[in-house]
Amino acid sequence: MIARAASAVVALCGLGIAGYLTAVHYTGGTPVCAISHGCATVQQSAYAELAGVPVALLGLAGFVAILCSLARDGETARTATAFLSLAGFGFSAWLTYVELARLDAICIWCVGSAACMTLLAVLSVTRMLRAPPGRPA
Amino acid sequence: MSNHLTKRELREQRRAERIAVESAYAARTRRTRVLRLVAAAGVALACVAAAAVASSNGGEPATPKPAAVDAGLFRGIPERGGVLGDPQAPLTVTEYVDLQCPVCAVAARETLPALLRDYVRTGKAKLEARTLHFIGPDSVRGARVAAGAERQGRLWPFLEAFYAAQGHENSGYVTDGFLRSVASAAGVDAGAALAFADSDAAQAPLDRANADAQRLGIDATPTFSVTRKGGRTQVVDAPSLLALLARESQR
Repeated sequence: MIARAASAVVALCGLGIAGYLTAVHYTGGTPVCAISHGCATVQQSAYAELAGVPVALLGLAGFVAILCSLARDGETARTATAFLSLAGFGFSAWLTYVELARLDAICIWCVGSAACMTLLAVLSVTRMLRAPPGRPA
Repeated sequence: MSNHLTKRELREQRRAERIAVESAYAARTRRTRVLRLVAAAGVALACVAAAAVASSNGGEPATPKPAAVDAGLFRGIPERGGVLGDPQAPLTVTEYVDLQCPVCAVAARETLPALLRDYVRTGKAKLEARTLHFIGPDSVRGARVAAGAERQGRLWPFLEAFYAAQGHENSGYVTDGFLRSVASAAGVDAGAALAFADSDAAQAPLDRANADAQRLGIDATPTFSVTRKGGRTQVVDAPSLLALLARESQR
């Protein structure tokens, strides 16, 4: 129950970040960035879109899907949350590698989103493995 | 010895059977969950790998091909020592750029034409550049060759040609071949510019750019400083530049 509630809070944080980045993408602005230059560099790089879809929008969809999967508490729902979180974590890890190794720029918002996905992956795996087994039929 | 169990023994037996069934069920559930988790992780990994491959392919830089600079943009505007326009103009606009910075290329497309037309050509302002180089090694090499173009009085056309052919940051596209193409497109003697870039003297403009940026607290590109002769310096971003110049030129 605690893991589920914590997951919901983290997913809402991630949703806020992804929503902001998506809005910035479509309004053509530049994200407010605490680390000089990095956000604009990342946002305007070729990696900011995947098959024409903004990565920020993919993140937004990911966090929404995770929140939806948290609405129920069955085995299937827990598996879905774990799958979405692990996929999000993996893709965030890839994007962080791209920022560091290929773009040489760090976007603090992307780091925040990646941190949310990492936390969600840990929480969802823990929740899945530690949930009470239920009773035999 | 009787085969009949007492009520207490029967209860104990049933309890033991129930615990055994529950334990077996719990173990089976654990195994199922681990298998589900492994499967979920595997599918997630496959999805991420596919996305990373698609992202990599999308991120591969197309071979940049410099196009000739729009001759009309700078035609008739004198450039000396990297300063574009009338040296006696009351306002000095200094643009802090990184040649690899995509936002600088946007500013060159969207802000520079109006800046040249309304302020530089009219003698209200002169324009100079400081080539910062913090994005990566490609920025350094580009800035050093830009210093070579500056010596030939072609810094601004060189910047324009570079932006027009700008590739993916730090992808290694800024080769000598690329720089030669950019220089040629800008009307720069490419051999001389690249030879200058290899000399110790090419470092001076880079150091000056760093020092000026540090003095003004500039840590992002593109950033503009506007200085009135004998007056104070104001620092603005690209979207605010023209409005500031409109105010300053009315004073």
